[in-house]
This record gives sequence, structure tokens and C-alpha cells, in this order.
Amino acid sequence: MFEFIRTHQRLMQFLLLLIIVPAFAIGFGMQGWNPAGDPNAVAKVCGGTVSMQDFERAQQEYLQNMRQQLGANFRPEFFDNPEARGAILDRLVNQRALACAALKRNIVASDDLLRQNILHDKQFQIDGKFSNELYQGALANNGMSSSAYETLLRQQLAMQALSSGVLMTASSPQTVQALFARAQEEQREVQELVLKPELYTAQVKLAPDAAQKYYDANQKEFQVPPQLRAEYLVLSVDTLSASIAPDAAEVRKYYDQNQNRYGVPEERQARHILIPAAAGAPAAEIAAARTKAEGILTQLKADPNKFPQLAKEFSKDPGSAEKGGELDFAAHNGTFVKPFEDKLFALKQGEVSDLVQTDYGFHIIQLMAVKPSSVKPFEQVRAEIEADWKKQRAQKLYADSIDGFADIVYTQPDSLKPAADKYKLTVQSAPLFARGAPPKDLNNPNLLTKLFGDEAVKNKRNTEAVEVAPGMMVSARVAEYKPQSVRPFAEAQAGITAMLTQREARALAKKDGEAKLKAAKASPDFVGFGAARTLSRAKPEGTGQDGMRMIMGAPKDKLPAVVGGELAEGGYAIYRINKVSQPDKPDPALAASLKTTLERSQAESDFNAYLAALKLTAKIELHPENIEKKPAN
Amino acid sequence: MAALDLEEQEQLAELKAWWNRYGNLVLTAFILIMLVFAGFNAWRYYQRSQAAAAFAIYDELQNVTAARDKAKSAELAGQLLERFPRTSFAPLAALMNAKVQLDAGDNKAAKAQLQWVVDSGKDDDLRNVARVRLAGMLLDEKMYDDALKLMDAAHPASFDALFLDRKGDILFAQGKNADARAAWQDAFLKADEKNNLRQVLTLKLELAGGSAPVVKARS
Repeated sequence: MFEFIRTHQRLMQFLLLLIIVPAFAIGFGMQGWNPAGDPNAVAKVCGGTVSMQDFERAQQEYLQNMRQQLGANFRPEFFDNPEARGAILDRLVNQRALACAALKRNIVASDDLLRQNILHDKQFQIDGKFSNELYQGALANNGMSSSAYETLLRQQLAMQALSSGVLMTASSPQTVQALFARAQEEQREVQELVLKPELYTAQVKLAPDAAQKYYDANQKEFQVPPQLRAEYLVLSVDTLSASIAPDAAEVRKYYDQNQNRYGVPEERQARHILIPAAAGAPAAEIAAARTKAEGILTQLKADPNKFPQLAKEFSKDPGSAEKGGELDFAAHNGTFVKPFEDKLFALKQGEVSDLVQTDYGFHIIQLMAVKPSSVKPFEQVRAEIEADWKKQRAQKLYADSIDGFADIVYTQPDSLKPAADKYKLTVQSAPLFARGAPPKDLNNPNLLTKLFGDEAVKNKRNTEAVEVAPGMMVSARVAEYKPQSVRPFAEAQAGITAMLTQREARALAKKDGEAKLKAAKASPDFVGFGAARTLSRAKPEGTGQDGMRMIMGAPKDKLPAVVGGELAEGGYAIYRINKVSQPDKPDPALAASLKTTLERSQAESDFNAYLAALKLTAKIELHPENIEKKPAN
Repeated sequence: MAALDLEEQEQLAELKAWWNRYGNLVLTAFILIMLVFAGFNAWRYYQRSQAAAAFAIYDELQNVTAARDKAKSAELAGQLLERFPRTSFAPLAALMNAKVQLDAGDNKAAKAQLQWVVDSGKDDDLRNVARVRLAGMLLDEKMYDDALKLMDAAHPASFDALFLDRKGDILFAQGKNADARAAWQDAFLKADEKNNLRQVLTLKLELAGGSAPVVKARS
């Protein structure tokens, strides 16, 4: 949803996106903000409150956004924790603070600026021209009124103006770029000795009861969260339309009433002659043009067949004059200026009009041909209409059913069947799942809280009907519940033993590595190093982060230098650095990519500092505890 | 009844007397308050209309910046700075134009714009942003003392990391490795942990023969 707002922004947006999206959660103008005093507010910014609803909306937007970005990798449980919620709250507060700062600075887009921005928005354009139809369509698709969109856009323009001045303008000193370029290209000739833990697994001797002891001491690690199998009902336009049988008579009526949707309007082709006289030209000029046009008209009335010839001679319309005044077929839909079009559609076949005056001048029009309006035959569009009709019915039915549905699942809490029967829905079932990995239809924090709550689990009641997504209500019940359990030792044993062995092997590798490092430092003749290789930060040649830090961090004033240490992935590495040098020719591609990276990083730092400073004056209070509060029921 | 009437008449007379004495004062005060209120509104209206006119130019400037049109950018920013120097758009526009000029290789023009923000911009936060950028340009021109002086300006804590980072850059260019290390280490501690300024600083510290300070993860 609201995709089209996101793509609206003009400048390099990836950074702005970080801060501004989701835009919809900002709320509608300062005046619309709740006054202070809401005890459940999750934050206060600039004297306005951020309500729990604002937060939930932002959260839903954010999750939807992440789902789109991550696709199959999207794991809702990653976002179901206080840190993730805190981050969403931060973004929301940032947006509000930015909007508030803009307002304080009188940064408010005028109506004119707003109009310009909508008119020049590429996504509302066809062939480079603004299309009102496209605009209205985009609004309708997003369920927004034009005034709501304008409010939103106004806010966005203001926030964008304020942030782009810092975010889009950062630079990084050339001195720093040069420093980094040298660092990236500095070459070090290295010999390495890596002691992997696998070399030591054979030496590991675990006590016979080591696995059992670990299991007993770390029960938490082996807990399996509660799981349940659920039955549920989805009330949505889709599920409702499945049970609607198209009524032949109604469909026919719909076809008859909506002919214009299935028809091709009448089109007419004209010849015309234009004698230009721009609106606002001196009266004398207009009068001269009129006299000239009248002269031509008299000739035409006498002999309409001379039209092409006279058009070639006199018409000043650049496109058509050459072709004897001939224009393309057009419908009565604003292809031509209104007076012209009205006249064209009032003419009879072959008839020559009187003078028609428009902003361009005087026209003489002759109607050449008519393509009558046509309507697609009923059978051809029947399937389409049935779908339309069903959807319309289902939409109405959905709106009418929400309350009743919620009521039935609540008043008859022991089964979903009454509701299913009444609304002709199918009870669906979801296989065993834990709260952190719910199936798609049930993936809504509010619904999950209820489904895993006492009412649903212990009392076996239906959950309340919850709107899990716009236009989709779900009520679910627990079909089977598996409480939290602990994996039995027999099942966990193999894994524990492998883990303990690895841990011991690492310890042995470290011990051996430390001894070898000492020896290598002491003697230049130390044996065991591999062949010499040349590495640089830009080209680590497969050496990991820890290794690179040791190699590049080694002092270069006394060579060869020997360094060593543990690796994060396990094992111990020892490096001998023999030579440090700089390449003869710096790589221009590297320099260019460094410039981009450093500028981007500087932009982010500049903007963060700027935003933090703006926030200092925004009177911000955070109440994340209100987010974490369990719902009252 | 008659007694009451008398009483009422007395009160009325008192009121009249009071009005004769203080009426002018009250009216004058009232008119003064209304005038102040009207003046305040007029002033706000003026500010807003100035800002709206400035926004129109700034909006165009935003488009021009994307297209890197050096001449047009200078013209629009010049217009904005001259006609609406006291609006919030002026320093924003100056920063924009500075970037376009810098990218086009006109360091002198870029510096002049940044200097304008530092000297005359009506926005303290943007002035601090401009200080850091100007110091970076002075660093490139080896005007170390002037650059360092800019980094000594008072600023809110949120700018600490930026200022210290730049200060370290300057000191390192001067060959004062130990001082640079100290500044960068300080900057590292003040930088937001989610910010990639920390990564940049880690490398800088490594180059200055130091290492990033160990920060305890916040629980």
C-alpha cells in the first residue's frame, strides 16, 4: 500500500527512505494530533501525542515494507521484540520531529507548489502529460481522498525540503579520501599459519557425563515454545465472493446500466481550416482574421469539394494543412478544444460549419466520417461483468457483515460453524505452529496474542474477530495445544556432544597457537608458515575480518613483524608480515567508489547529527512501556 | 421597590463615574492590545508569505541540484539569499549550491556559500553542519589553523562526533598522530552506535596506529 507515495520523491531517495517512510504514519497535520493527556500515548513530540494506533499503523506499514523487501526471507519473529518495536517508535518520532521542525521554520508548501508537484509527477503522467484519470485511479487504489493525499504530500514536501538540504549536500574532504585510498591499497606481504579447531578434535576427551551435565545446567536452551493447531475463518471480499452466485438478471441489468464501460464511444473525423488569431491579440488583427475566414467560408459554402484545396492554401494549422485539413479520428472527450469539439459533434456528414472561434483563432470544420459508438456484445464481456458484479456484491456484503461476524464468533464461542454457515465461509486449518512462526493468514500480533491467551487455549473459545489486514477479518480457535516442553536428553545428546567437542578443540587450538606465536616471535627461523602472499585491504585474498585486522594493524616500523590471535569462526591464526609497500599506480575505480562511499557515510552522519539537534527542541517524551503493556483483555 | 430602585440608581451612578474616570484608559488599553495582536498576525503573515516565495525558488533549486547545473544553481541560490536571507530556506539553499559548486570544481564559490551559512544563516544547526564542511575544505587547502578554529565553535552535543572526527582529520594531516588519535577515539565514543561513522573511525584509528576504544554493548 501507499507504494505510489514512496516512489514520488525526486532526489536520490535511498537515504531519505530510511527516515521518511512510512510516511502515512505521520498523521494529518499538527492540528489533528491528539491533545496532551492521553495516558496510553507511546510518545509525545512537539506537544502532540503519538497514540498506540499511530504506532500500530506505522508498525504494519513497516512490516509490509520489510515483507516486500525481504520476500521469502521475511521472518516476522525478528520484528516481534522490544528492540524492533523501539526502532519503529524511533522512526515515527523522527518523522514527527522533522515535520514539527519544518512547521516551526515556516516550511509549508503552498497550494501552487503542491499542484506543480502533482502535475509533474511522472507516475501520474501518460506520454509526459498529467492524466487526471491516472491520478484519481492511483488515489482510489490506495483508498485515499485527494485532500488526504494533498495533506500527506504537503507534509512530505516540507520534510523533504528540510532534510535534503543536509542529506543531499554532504561532501568528504579530499585529504580523507586520499588517506583512505592509500590505506585500501597498501600491500603487505604475509605468511600465515592457521590452526583450525578440527586439527584438535581427536585429542578432545570429554567426561562420560559431560553432555548430561550440560543438559541439566542449560535446560532453557532445550525448551520448545508452546505450539498449537488452529482452525480459523477469514471474512474478506475474496472469501465472500466465492459463495456468491451471479444472478443472470442482475448481471444483465448491470451490463445495460454500465454500457459506457463496455462500449467504444463514437469517433469523428474532420477537416478543418485555421486562420490564427490568438486570444488577446489586438482587435484589428482579430477582425482581419475574421474577414479572411469569412471569405474562405463563402467559397466553401458554394462548393464544399474545394475544402482540401483551400485548406492547403490557407490553413495555418501545421499538422493538418498539408493533408488538406484532415485530422485523425477522435472521440468527444477533450482531444480538441471544447468549442471545436462541440461543433464537430453537432455537424452532419459532409456538412461545413460556420466560423468557430477558439483561443487559437477561427476554424472552419467539415465532418468527413463518423465511426458510430459500439458496445461489446454481452456474451463477450459476461465473465468480466460477473466478476465485477460479484466483487461489488462482496464488497457491500463485507461491509455489512463485519459487525455480525464479530458478534457471532463472540456470542457462540464454542465453534466457528455458526459463523461459517451464516456467511458461507469455509473453516480453514493451520498445522502446528509456534507463536514466532505463524501462517500467513494469522500473522497479526493482536490475533496471536489472543490465540495464545488463556481464553482461547484453556477455555477453548473463539478469538474475537480481528482485522489482520485491511479488508480481512479473522477469528480463530485452538484445535490442539502443545504446551511449552523440553526436548528429551536422548534427542539432544548428539548435538550437545558435538558442541562440547568443538568448544574443547577451540581451547586446545588457542593454547597451541599462543605457544607457537611466542616461538615465532622469538625466532626468525620458525618453521610452519605458508608461502608468502601479498594482501591489501581492498584485496584481502580470502583472509577474514579478524585476520585482516591483525595483519593491517601490525606496526610497520620493524619488519618482519609477527602477530597472532583467535579467529571469531574458531581457530588461531599467526601471521608474519615481511614487507609493506604502496602500488606504483593508484586504481582510479577504487578512488571513485571510495568517494561515493565516504560521501554517503558523511551524509548519514551529518544528517543524524542534524536530526538529533532538531529533536532537542521537539520536547520529546518516549513511553515504550506503553507499547509493551499487555492488552487489557 | 422604591428603595431598590434607589439602590440600583446609585450603582448605575457609580458605574458611570467609574467609566468617566477610567473609560479612556480601558479603551486605550484595549485598542493597544488589539494593535499588538494585529501586528503580531501581520508579522506572522509576512514571515509565511516570505517563506512560501522562498520555497518556490528552493523547490526549483532542488531539481537543478539533481541535474548538477552549476550556473543555474548559482543563480537560484543567489536570488534566494538576496531576497529572502532571513528565511530557513536561505541556509538550506546555500548548502545545496555549495555542493553543486564543489562538485563542479569551483572551490572558491563553494567556500563562499558555506561561509555565508556560518556567518549569516538563521539556523544554528545548519551553521554547525556548514562549519564541519567548511573545515573539510580548509583542510584540503592546508589551512589547518583556520580549520581547527572552526571546530572549536560551541555546538550541541549531537554534533560532538562530527566535530571531533573532523578535528582528528586536521590534526592527522598536521602529523600530530597522538592528538588525532585522541580526537578520533573521543569521536568514536560519542558517535551513535548504529551510525557507520564508527566504521570510518575504526579505520582512521588503525591508520594512526591506534585502535577503536572498546565499548560495552548496551544491554
